[in-house]
Amino acid sequence: MEQNITFRGYSVSHSDIVRVFVIVSLSLCCIFITALSLAQQTGAVYYQLFYFPIIYATYFYPKKGLYLAGICALAFELLSYFYVYPNTVDLISTTGQAILFILVAVVVAYFTEKVNTSEARYRSIFESSLMGIILFDQNTFAIRMTNSCVEQMLGYTEEELRSIHFSLLFSTPEEQRVFYERLGSNADITNFETRLLTKSKEPLWVALSWRRITENMVSTSIIDINSRKMAEQAADENYAQYKQVIENSPASIVILRTEKIVYTNPAFTTFSGYSPADLLGKDLLSLVHEDDRAEFFRFISAPGETTDLPEIRECRFITKSGDVRLGALFFTHIIQRSTPALLINLVDITEREKLKAKIQMDTEIHQGIISTVAHELRTPLQPIMGYLNLLTQDPQTYGVTDETRAILDRCAKSVDRESQIINQMLELSVLDAGKIPLSYSVVPVRDLLVTIADTGGYASKADLVIDAPADTTMEADESKLSIVIDSMLSNAVNYSKPPRKIRVAYQFSNAEQMHRISIQDNGVGITNSQLDEIFEPFTLPGNGGAARKPDRVGLSLSIAKKYVQMHGGYISVDSIVNLGSTFTIHIPKTPARAEAGHDA
Amino acid sequence: MTRKILIVEDDEPILDLMDLLIRKLGYEPVLISNGPDALVYARHEPPALVLLDIMMTPINGWEFLEKLRAEPALQKIPVIIFSASPSVEEKMATINDPLLGVLHKPVSLTELRAGIERSIGL
Repeated sequence: MEQNITFRGYSVSHSDIVRVFVIVSLSLCCIFITALSLAQQTGAVYYQLFYFPIIYATYFYPKKGLYLAGICALAFELLSYFYVYPNTVDLISTTGQAILFILVAVVVAYFTEKVNTSEARYRSIFESSLMGIILFDQNTFAIRMTNSCVEQMLGYTEEELRSIHFSLLFSTPEEQRVFYERLGSNADITNFETRLLTKSKEPLWVALSWRRITENMVSTSIIDINSRKMAEQAADENYAQYKQVIENSPASIVILRTEKIVYTNPAFTTFSGYSPADLLGKDLLSLVHEDDRAEFFRFISAPGETTDLPEIRECRFITKSGDVRLGALFFTHIIQRSTPALLINLVDITEREKLKAKIQMDTEIHQGIISTVAHELRTPLQPIMGYLNLLTQDPQTYGVTDETRAILDRCAKSVDRESQIINQMLELSVLDAGKIPLSYSVVPVRDLLVTIADTGGYASKADLVIDAPADTTMEADESKLSIVIDSMLSNAVNYSKPPRKIRVAYQFSNAEQMHRISIQDNGVGITNSQLDEIFEPFTLPGNGGAARKPDRVGLSLSIAKKYVQMHGGYISVDSIVNLGSTFTIHIPKTPARAEAGHDA
Repeated sequence: MTRKILIVEDDEPILDLMDLLIRKLGYEPVLISNGPDALVYARHEPPALVLLDIMMTPINGWEFLEKLRAEPALQKIPVIIFSASPSVEEKMATINDPLLGVLHKPVSLTELRAGIERSIGL
């Protein structure tokens, strides 16, 4: 486009100015020559000259050309009147000429307008096309014409594009080479996908189609396919990523479509021994252990049923080598290639199950050993205790002096303690086996606490405060609860020095809906690292800064913990080293009968 | 009435101790170290009381008790379970035998006397 000047509302180009100058001069020449020839009376009037400015003007400016034709006709007519009047014959002749001027102008204007309209239509199609169009010279690659779509796509103005060679728009030399090759084939090309560089040097995916419109001129349409290409690339990357994840997954993945295997990953090959080719199109059911087939068939043939809540099911498979392997299966319904499919995740739990069984067996053996050892240790203690009893109860008969008796008493005490430890070991082994049921009754809390304190003689060992309302009761196994509280009290005495202060308090927690019995002492306290250990059987507290000396294997807390767990409760401990500890027993208000007898 | 007390216990040192204790209490102990032999003896000469250990072979104390009660002639003999296990009462509660008592090991002379008198007096 040429540069335009705006003149009284009109957009005027340089060529317009030249044309108007030509038209005006020609018109004035014509009028002058006509006037001259009429004045000379030579008989020759060069009125045909008027056709030049009229046709010229009408061709370029159809409407204004008509005005010019009118002006020229009027001028010609006025001149004729002036010179030939009253020669009527000549007047008619000149008037006819003037009318002819206007007619010619109308005809020219009509055709010009028609041509202009259709050209404008094509130009507007060209300009407003959503497809970029570039016309370039096949030999020089000079860009001759572009539309605004190309400008938008590539970010250049039309002038900038005209100064660039089309071949230089390609983003890489390789793409340029391919373009030359395709162009050199002389055929018309459609949908040649390549990348062009935008003004900001960003590569842009486009589809080019071109056609030779003249011997040298090539018309190329450009479609922006960048977003499609990006989406395709992203999809490719996604696909590669998923493929990698699936192929490297340690879990087996099998996809079934209409109950036939359409995909298995390498992990499934490792699991089953079958290659994907072995399995493709086969029925997975044929790999399932006979006894599990009915159930497995139920899983896979119930589409939709498990969509919301995929469950893990266990199922045995027969491998290629004939081994039985146990898999944990996880089903997901998916859509694959517009068809419903079943995605099966399978984790090999054969070893885990074996290990579990082994651990179970080991635990049982372990418990059995403890139980047997404890029985064996306990039996020989009976006569020792019996004889010691006999001697101390009837010293005269056996000639036992007071001094000997004091020694025997100490022996009896030690034997007693050993017997107690053995009994606790036995109790724990039975508890671990989960064989003991609870027998619930309504327990008056204050009475229970007082009885325990009296029986254990705790009031004589410490400054003991029992803070519990007289009328409170709770549902619990009384004998078990007694053992729990007694071991807490005994613990409080053992891990403190006189003057001992022990406070036993009862509270009901509305928030937890649990009874709370707390036993607070002013003893040595427990370090954080010991907190977890003190409830573990046969665990000696670690060395680092132990507040509690590992002076004996305490089983009573382990038993207490188990009893409380059987009730559905728990024991919490708050402790500050050298200030004391508070053990709190939490027992649910509503008996946890279901848990009774279970190893919590 | 016989003063014989049958002691069924497989541990010899305990048997010896019981022998001593029972004699001290003025009864006549009969010491047998297994259930089947004790049954044979009881059929032959029913004792005034049976002191019964639980953990024994080839039959344990509970099985012995069952066989004993199965014989009409022996149904009325009082039995004291002589046990070291704290959970023995729970088992006893399920049997519901009025002639069944319990003494926990280790037993002192006083407890033994009280237990025996309680059972025989029934």
